[in-house]
Amino acid sequence: MTRPVKTAIGVLLTAIMLFPVYWMINVSFTRDTDMRASPPHLVPWHGTLEGYRAVLDQQLPYLGTSLLVGIGTVLLTVALAAPAGYSLAKLRPPGAGGLNFVLLIAQMIPGIIMAMGFYAIYLKLGVLNSTAGLILADSTIAVPFGVLIFTAFMSGIPDELVQAARIDGASSWRTFRSVVLPMSRNSIVTVSLFAFLWAWSDFVFASTLDGGGAHQPITLGIYHYIGNNNQQWNAIMATAVVASIPATVLLIVAQRYVAAGVTAGAVKD
Amino acid sequence: MKSSTRRWRTTGAALLALALAGVAGACSKSGDHASGGAAKPYAIWDPYPQFDASSAWSALLTKCGTDAGVTVQRTGYDTSDLTNKALLAAQQGNSPDVLIVDNPVISTLADAGVLTATDDNKLDIASMQPNLISAGQSGGKTYGVPIGANTLALYYNKAVLTKAGVDAASIKDWPSLTAALAKVKAAGKKGITFSAIGTEEGSFQFLPWFWGSGAQLTQLDSPQGVSALQLWTDWLKQGYAPNSVINNTQTTSWQEFATGDYAFAENGTWQLANAAKAGFEYGIIPVPGISGGTAPAPTGGEFVSVPVQTDTARYSTSAKIVTCLTSTDNLLATDTTLSYIAPTTAVQDKQIAQNPALKVWVDAVKAAKGRTGDNLGTKYPKISEPLWNAVQAALSGAKSPKDALTAAQGAAAK
Amino acid sequence: MTRSARGGQWTAWAFAAPVVLYLVAFYAYPLYRNLDLSLRDYTVRSFVRGDAPFSGSDNYTKVVQDPTFGPALLHTVIFTLGSLAFQFTLGMALAVFFVQHFPLSGMLRALFLVPWLLPLIVSASTWSWMLNSDSGIVNWALGLVGIGPVNWLTSPSWSLTSVIIANIWIGIPFNLVVLYSGLQAISPEIYEAAALDGATGRQRFWRITLPLLRPVSAITLLLGLVYTLKVFDIIWIMTKGGPADSSTTFATWSYRLGFGNLLPSFGPGAAVGNLLIVIALIFGLIYIRRQRS
Repeated sequence: MTRPVKTAIGVLLTAIMLFPVYWMINVSFTRDTDMRASPPHLVPWHGTLEGYRAVLDQQLPYLGTSLLVGIGTVLLTVALAAPAGYSLAKLRPPGAGGLNFVLLIAQMIPGIIMAMGFYAIYLKLGVLNSTAGLILADSTIAVPFGVLIFTAFMSGIPDELVQAARIDGASSWRTFRSVVLPMSRNSIVTVSLFAFLWAWSDFVFASTLDGGGAHQPITLGIYHYIGNNNQQWNAIMATAVVASIPATVLLIVAQRYVAAGVTAGAVKD
Repeated sequence: MKSSTRRWRTTGAALLALALAGVAGACSKSGDHASGGAAKPYAIWDPYPQFDASSAWSALLTKCGTDAGVTVQRTGYDTSDLTNKALLAAQQGNSPDVLIVDNPVISTLADAGVLTATDDNKLDIASMQPNLISAGQSGGKTYGVPIGANTLALYYNKAVLTKAGVDAASIKDWPSLTAALAKVKAAGKKGITFSAIGTEEGSFQFLPWFWGSGAQLTQLDSPQGVSALQLWTDWLKQGYAPNSVINNTQTTSWQEFATGDYAFAENGTWQLANAAKAGFEYGIIPVPGISGGTAPAPTGGEFVSVPVQTDTARYSTSAKIVTCLTSTDNLLATDTTLSYIAPTTAVQDKQIAQNPALKVWVDAVKAAKGRTGDNLGTKYPKISEPLWNAVQAALSGAKSPKDALTAAQGAAAK
Repeated sequence: MTRSARGGQWTAWAFAAPVVLYLVAFYAYPLYRNLDLSLRDYTVRSFVRGDAPFSGSDNYTKVVQDPTFGPALLHTVIFTLGSLAFQFTLGMALAVFFVQHFPLSGMLRALFLVPWLLPLIVSASTWSWMLNSDSGIVNWALGLVGIGPVNWLTSPSWSLTSVIIANIWIGIPFNLVVLYSGLQAISPEIYEAAALDGATGRQRFWRITLPLLRPVSAITLLLGLVYTLKVFDIIWIMTKGGPADSSTTFATWSYRLGFGNLLPSFGPGAAVGNLLIVIALIFGLIYIRRQRS
């Protein structure tokens, strides 16, 4: 198969996958009268910009907060999870099996139960309705995942490399920082991507812990258009579209950093 | 090796210290605790997230606060979330000072001990219409004040009815309504749309038909109740109502009506603003009873309540804010914004004076019933959920209407 | 010898310490609350006051004896296995496809993640609209090829299938990204050597790629299982678990009991939630056992 053919197939597959996203964009331009038109309009013929006008007027601060929370969550998650992954993968502390187990259970707790627990803690600590509190809460979604992913990927780093560094006199921290981390670029980007995406689309923590806050993320901003009796669907979809643009750009940029064949050539035979 | 471990420990300790400092900083910033009640702003929670800080509603809340001599901090929540938030806050001693919630929830919150009764908060309820205030009453005490009421009726599309040769005034009971739907379908248009979704909205929309058949909520599987569910089921079978009603919210049902293809839509007072934008001429008739008359429709609309606080001195100020919100002038403005009908005769008259078309709705609201009225209170949620499950089962063909309601009665009676 | 070994253990725990502290600080209390909610008889009043009486396994008994238990369990199994099978296979196929370098492969791969950027209320609502019986695009497309309209979300026979389809769509990016990263770690020299030995593409995939991807595949499947068991937003927004419980899984049932109606029953809701945790634990144990071997 030639490369242009592969590109064509790739574009086709992406188009199929993203069709619902196209539909979302379609709805964002649709007038209220045409929302339930049967047969449905494939293209918003009598479009309206009222959804976008509402979004650009009101939602930009929410976008900013979401970006801040997303990036904060990424930093916190990687800082916590990478060393732990290294430990489980290479240093093998006793009781590692138990830790793996706990990480699994940790992810099973329903989000709303976690949120209710945090509410009590945050209220006592006085960090309710704060961005920092939200970052901390969102990180609980990503950290167990991060540790498991780092463990899985770092296990794949050949032991010889680690031994070589130790024999050269490097401490564990030095080995981690200078040998393991650079070789873990793939897993760092993977974990960062998911941490960002989970923080970006989180609603439960935002609603319970930042519901009354001065700075709210976009998932709460959307509720502007979900009133108690009426919902403005074109504005809701427009919010999602506008919110996705900066995040998509970030994603495309981040994907460039996943390099191929990280271990190639590092171990000489 | 030892030095590296020590370096690691130092870094870890430094990070921990930083984190604690950050938390402590946030702690000291977030206002003082307990004493100095006058300094602490009064929290108001409402289910209107569509109103942001620049809206007339927010301005009204701030003004009522200033009139009472305090600052107000208002948060809008999603209405389906607000009960849980209120319960969670009450558990942690963080209840707001004024809480505005959907009326069927009041009895749940009162039962949980979250709300104060008029004995404690000294609110004046004398001018409120009894059928509207009944939803906020439980065990002989009143726990809240309605901010406005809405109810259901049948909107109709004049052009579609004319095309089908149907006269809206001739629809007086169920047979005449079904006959009209048949004529509309024969003319190539769609009959009626409503919401039968598996949530409280579905029960809300089913109640006018349920009560209109003569059935009571205490006996779901009476022959009258079965006939009401049979009506809806037959409409779906015959194509007079679309299959999508099973998943429709009242908003999506309205969107179907707004396409102009439907003759009737069962929807509420709050759609009046959208009806004006619909682009076709519309009319309103009350939901007919099974053999004539107007079916009792359920009351929607929120109640304003004063949750329990440890510092009971705050009640008098909270009551001032509530009274301000429900004063005659403010009620007129608020209910016009929300497209609700006022709960007092005085303001209703003003609303009709402003907009004579509202008379139909005012009459409907006067004839409406509270869902948690009839002293059902917290028994209502235990009945409502089996009821909407029965509607879903019958409409989707999983069970016959009779079997569905028998199962529902069994579940409700447990 | 002993001293350095002990020093090694100490270092190992030092690296893991932040996460351990974090786990204890942030997960222990909610987990305890969940257990507590399920072991006591909570009414709304006692929830607020915190004085609910201990009721032992009453909530669990109530839940197991409920007529919804059987169908919910069945649906949970079908939903999870169905979603996982397709998500993983499609994710793997896409990862293998994208690992070949062709123009735009990087950008297209990034675009596959866009579904994850959307708040679930938006993506679930979009699927809901696409699958609408009367005004949905899917039924319209089926009509073009002569197939009658399917009541995707409103028929007890189709509701579970519809939510599975939406869930597969949401799960593909996760599988794609993780498996792709795993594929990246396989050295191309191994493939070159195999090609020199005359291995076909098929053989290279089954004999080299899959075995080398085992640890990453295992963790992808395990995490996929855990996340799919927890899924409730998509189902809730699309069908609310209905009609007539036909798409109710443990996760939606738990939410419905605790938060989805006017009168919360926290006890049974937490009990169902804990049952879900137990199911996940069983699979977790299997995974850890196989890791050790």
